[in-house]
Amino acid sequence: MLLRSFRTVILLAAALGTASLAGPVAAQSRDLVTVDLPNDAATLDPHLQWDTDSYTVYRNIFDNLVTRDASGTIVPQIATAWTYVSDTVIDFTIRQGVTFHDGTPLTPEDVVFSIRRIIDPALRSPQLSQFDQIASAEVTGPATVRMVTKSPYPALFAQLVKLSIVPKAYVDKVGAQKFNLEPVGSGPFRLKQWQKGIAATLEANDTYWRGKPPFRTVVFRVVPDVATRVADLQTGKADIVRGLSPDEALTVKKDAKLQVLAVPTERIGYMFLNTQAGPTQDVRVRRAVAHAIDRTAIIEALLQGYGKAVDVVLTPANFGFVDDIKGWPYDPARAKALVAEAGAAGQKLTFLTSPAYDRRVVEALQQMIQDVGLKVEIQTMDQPTFLRRRQGRPDEAGSLSLGRWSCACQDADGVIFPLFRSGSIWAKYANPAFDKEVDAARAILDPKQRLVHYRKAFEILRDEVPGIGLYQDFAIYAARKEITWTPTANEAFFLFDMAWKP
Amino acid sequence: MPRYLAGRLLQALIATFGVMTIVFVVMRLSGDPTLLLVPEGASREHIDALRRELGFDRPIFIQYLSYLGDLLRLDLGDSVVQRVPAVDILAARIPYTVALASAALLVALGIGIPVGIAMAVWRGRWFERPLAALVLAGQSLPTFLSGILLIMLFAVTLRWLPSSGADGPAAIIMPAVALGALSMSTFARMARIAIVDELSKDYVRAARARGLSVGGTVARHVLRNAAIPVVTVAALEIGNLLAGSVIVETVFAWPGIGQLAIQSIQSRDFLVVQAVVLFVSVVYTVTSLAADLVYAWIDPRIRLSPA
Repeated sequence: MLLRSFRTVILLAAALGTASLAGPVAAQSRDLVTVDLPNDAATLDPHLQWDTDSYTVYRNIFDNLVTRDASGTIVPQIATAWTYVSDTVIDFTIRQGVTFHDGTPLTPEDVVFSIRRIIDPALRSPQLSQFDQIASAEVTGPATVRMVTKSPYPALFAQLVKLSIVPKAYVDKVGAQKFNLEPVGSGPFRLKQWQKGIAATLEANDTYWRGKPPFRTVVFRVVPDVATRVADLQTGKADIVRGLSPDEALTVKKDAKLQVLAVPTERIGYMFLNTQAGPTQDVRVRRAVAHAIDRTAIIEALLQGYGKAVDVVLTPANFGFVDDIKGWPYDPARAKALVAEAGAAGQKLTFLTSPAYDRRVVEALQQMIQDVGLKVEIQTMDQPTFLRRRQGRPDEAGSLSLGRWSCACQDADGVIFPLFRSGSIWAKYANPAFDKEVDAARAILDPKQRLVHYRKAFEILRDEVPGIGLYQDFAIYAARKEITWTPTANEAFFLFDMAWKP
Repeated sequence: MPRYLAGRLLQALIATFGVMTIVFVVMRLSGDPTLLLVPEGASREHIDALRRELGFDRPIFIQYLSYLGDLLRLDLGDSVVQRVPAVDILAARIPYTVALASAALLVALGIGIPVGIAMAVWRGRWFERPLAALVLAGQSLPTFLSGILLIMLFAVTLRWLPSSGADGPAAIIMPAVALGALSMSTFARMARIAIVDELSKDYVRAARARGLSVGGTVARHVLRNAAIPVVTVAALEIGNLLAGSVIVETVFAWPGIGQLAIQSIQSRDFLVVQAVVLFVSVVYTVTSLAADLVYAWIDPRIRLSPA
């Protein structure tokens, strides 16, 4: 009887082991492309979640109002042209002949619906803050839409790059919840199947207005462990993977069948210095920290060259970057002198960090700063706690921390305004002269004038050191050699721009 | 017996309730998901507005009451990240964890028991040494290491098995071995100890005196008696395996509830975490109760009395 119950357990296990394991069948053909992502898309409704894995998938299902070309210039997509009627009123011409995957044509009503939907607080969209400068939108003709902003808003088009156009009739008919699970867009791919947490399968939209998509079927798989993503690539289980660290890039480089696709992004690696609490209230201590940091050593030794040293808290991929403003060069002797001058020798700086930041970089910085006579204590916490403290009161925010900031708008307004404008949750710094410059730069449309203000703003930041630009972050992908693709600074993952080598 | 069962079920209910309460409070004390959802650069007003819309601005006690109210109506709530019912997210992952747990149990029993028997019967012989090494390896190799080693050997180098995923029967082999290794060692050691213990008893000597072979004695008499502790351990191991394995499921991209648990904890997706914890507590309670019942059932000498 006992043996029988053993046997039952075993049979049950065997039956369960082979059941319910249906999934995408991997076929080594050119029709199918498999992409490994660290996480599943949180939502496929493009107006909801804003994280890299979600938009990596849904940007291929939808078209945006405008987009950026390979050089980063904003170019037409659903809007074919636009004119400023005044500083706050813009008329858009909407492309005709575009149809959604369900066959209905894309109209100006859909564009207006999409704008109103994402700025409606009831949708609870985390992206609201990116679009809330838009006051209203209305249809003004069979192919025209008028948009009004609350004030002159120079970063508007940088934000509209991310505005996906959704079909009004379909969303109204099925409701928000079903739209999220079975989205319909006008993009080069349509959703075929979404096994939440496992894989999302897209198939080509052959009637796409820009032409035939390069692949028939694309599977986005969820593979959380980066070593496994690399193994998938090596074994042909995946064709392209996202989210590699510099160390894995070295592994991939050794494989003759694979290639590393890396691109400098608009993401800035920087160090925050608290000007309102602790020893870093003294500007000499902050300058000493700046002099103590050897960017080149960090980039060469820890980032394997996948980083580009910058002197300001902004990357060259952003509007507002001022090339000729130099930071504080690596000079430990000068740093030591500044520490002595400030009477800060041996004072303790707390360095807040979370698993989101490379521990080795944190420890290297700690060592460099300690070498010039300060004491650095690293405090590690999880990301929500880190954010709460970093955004909280100055005395909770620690003396130092790292940041990897991207506004996904490639504009200085999305970087130094939230980071250093007094009153912002990130700012532990207040300087009316700086506030005046960044306020002015966000209220005028003329790029030349804006640059004048940003130059002054960056000069103030250089002198006062409430933050130190370290390096321009790289996005690292890896793929089979047969795939051609040039990744872009805004970390977009447009399958339409990829192809198989002939 | 009915009184015993009622007592145990009441205990289980209280324990589950306690676990849920602790998880509820601890999750909320360690920060809410709003900060992780908004893009960088969102202002205090936007963060506060979203927090209000999601209901996380209310006092924890009020949130707790509202959660209990929903729970009474068997509503586990919606994921704040994915915007779908938490129960749907959980339900989609359970078959994968059950499949992996079953396959791991198969590995554990299928290798562990024969190895344990062999080690007991041939104890002290040279043959025991490699088996002991196997048991030691299964017990001491951490899964994040054994997982990667398996992938490097069988997927990358030999190309016998897929490196990750849950598509097709071949994909379950490596995660099952990695997950089952520790249970395998436990079974092997339990079986060895139990059989060695039985082998020294009088009935074995009597059977041998009647002329039965060692194999015959073990197969016909010893296994039955030695099975009692092993079955009990097996029932408990099922609970452990069904709770999902964070590491094995992450390394092999196996979409079970272990992976779901870690993903939803990282994104502070409270209601999904709570759904996972509820499921795991129920599984533990049921399997430990089952272990006790099975124990009494296979050994009539054991009486269950109200706790």
